[in-house]
Amino acid sequence: MPSIEERVQKVVSRLLGVNESQITDDSDFVRDLGAESIQSIELVAAFEEEFDIEMDEEAALQVNTVGKAIEFIKKDIAEQH
Amino acid sequence: MRRLCVFEDEKYCNLYPLTFLRPVFELKCGCTSLLDKILSNYKGAEVCFFVRDYLSPTFKKKFPTAPINDLSILGNSDLLLINGRWLVVDSAVEPDGREEIGLCDGDVVYARVSQKTAASCSADNIQTFLEQIKSKIKTRSVSADLISYPWDLINHNGKIIEQEFNSLGKSGIEGKFSSFSTVYGEQDLVWVAQSAEVQPFVVIDTTHGPVIIDEGATISPYSRIEGPSYIGRETYIYGANVREGTAIGPMCRIGGEVEESIIHGYTNKYHEGFLGHSYLAEWANLGALTTNSDLKNDYSQVQVYIKGALTDSNETKVGCYIGDHTKTSIGTFFNTGTVVGIMCNLVGSGGILPKFVPSFVWFLNNRFYKGYGFNAMLNTARAVMARRNRSLSDEDVELMRFIHTLTKEERQTALKKGRKTR
Repeated sequence: MPSIEERVQKVVSRLLGVNESQITDDSDFVRDLGAESIQSIELVAAFEEEFDIEMDEEAALQVNTVGKAIEFIKKDIAEQH
Repeated sequence: MRRLCVFEDEKYCNLYPLTFLRPVFELKCGCTSLLDKILSNYKGAEVCFFVRDYLSPTFKKKFPTAPINDLSILGNSDLLLINGRWLVVDSAVEPDGREEIGLCDGDVVYARVSQKTAASCSADNIQTFLEQIKSKIKTRSVSADLISYPWDLINHNGKIIEQEFNSLGKSGIEGKFSSFSTVYGEQDLVWVAQSAEVQPFVVIDTTHGPVIIDEGATISPYSRIEGPSYIGRETYIYGANVREGTAIGPMCRIGGEVEESIIHGYTNKYHEGFLGHSYLAEWANLGALTTNSDLKNDYSQVQVYIKGALTDSNETKVGCYIGDHTKTSIGTFFNTGTVVGIMCNLVGSGGILPKFVPSFVWFLNNRFYKGYGFNAMLNTARAVMARRNRSLSDEDVELMRFIHTLTKEERQTALKKGRKTR
């Protein structure tokens, strides 16, 4: 079973069309990975699907890096599973 | 004179999402709302209202001195109760006369009730009060136009504009009218208000009915307006083809083609794109080339989602019904008989949108999303309203929060439907 970090990387790679090797914890979704504002909405939905969680969209959309997204998702998984 | 009581009965929900933020009698048909028409029949009457409790704080701001949902006053005087869904221009029931209840297909249209009968009732809501008086007062079957579904407003719109034009008693050109523009048809079927302006190269076609261009409205070059139509106060028409049976409320910005539709007010449809047999609530914004179908290719009758279920409209021409503050992107396509909730953000992706879009969602790449959340939606609404010198009150926000909760289940269903199962 891939780790949460690997699964987040895969989702980000698929949705934003960037190579997984380019994605690090410090990668900023907009500045480094080129996410359009509208893609942030798709990312939240994709994480919800991948991890079967419900994310608070307003809090989730404040997250700007991959590492912070991983922490956010881990917290939601711990609370909801 | 009897106290006039205008009430909402339980059929307001057939007109969701248009009635999420307003009582049913504030919906428009023709130049004015259903309520404006009722009140114009009873000038000078003391009036009270019965609306859904959650609408009371916002509605109170419009009628600060009128009692709202106050059952205790019903026993204090003779009453004339009028159903707020009654579409009546100048043929309302006489306020004086013996006690009587007018029923149309079982719905109370009006009720003349004596103070004595009203005082003998002990109801905890207006529906119970109506049931109680039905057992005490003679009923009479009457013919009346009660608005039961959104398409009723559209179907009556042209006829009501004609009646309101006749009642207005105004015609002719009082405002600016370019010598390069023309009235095609009877000249006295036009009224251009004093502060309105018709710029060059505009055709106003009165061959099928009157055209009213209200105060402050501007009609820009290459527009064509076909009667019966009403252009509301401070509205701009930008080179549009406004077809018959169209009423556009105040402060709208309209381009493209519009046919047999009602645009409530403060709504923008600046650009090319067709809108037909539709009702747009307030503060909506349709992006360029947004277009709706109002006729199925097989000419069959259109079904519309009413209260969560597909309902036969028994009409072949049905457009879309779009709630307050909903926005569409460029190139958004609506299917015949589409219902869209309030505060949605719809991004066209080349295909046709689902026939039902719940409130407070985004639609993008053919699936529903939560978007940026409720507070972000409020911030957008604030920004939009500020452009027209309006603001969201605390009461407005609380009402929207209530509707957000009310519509949660249908929203969750739509969001889950779009999810890929793992």
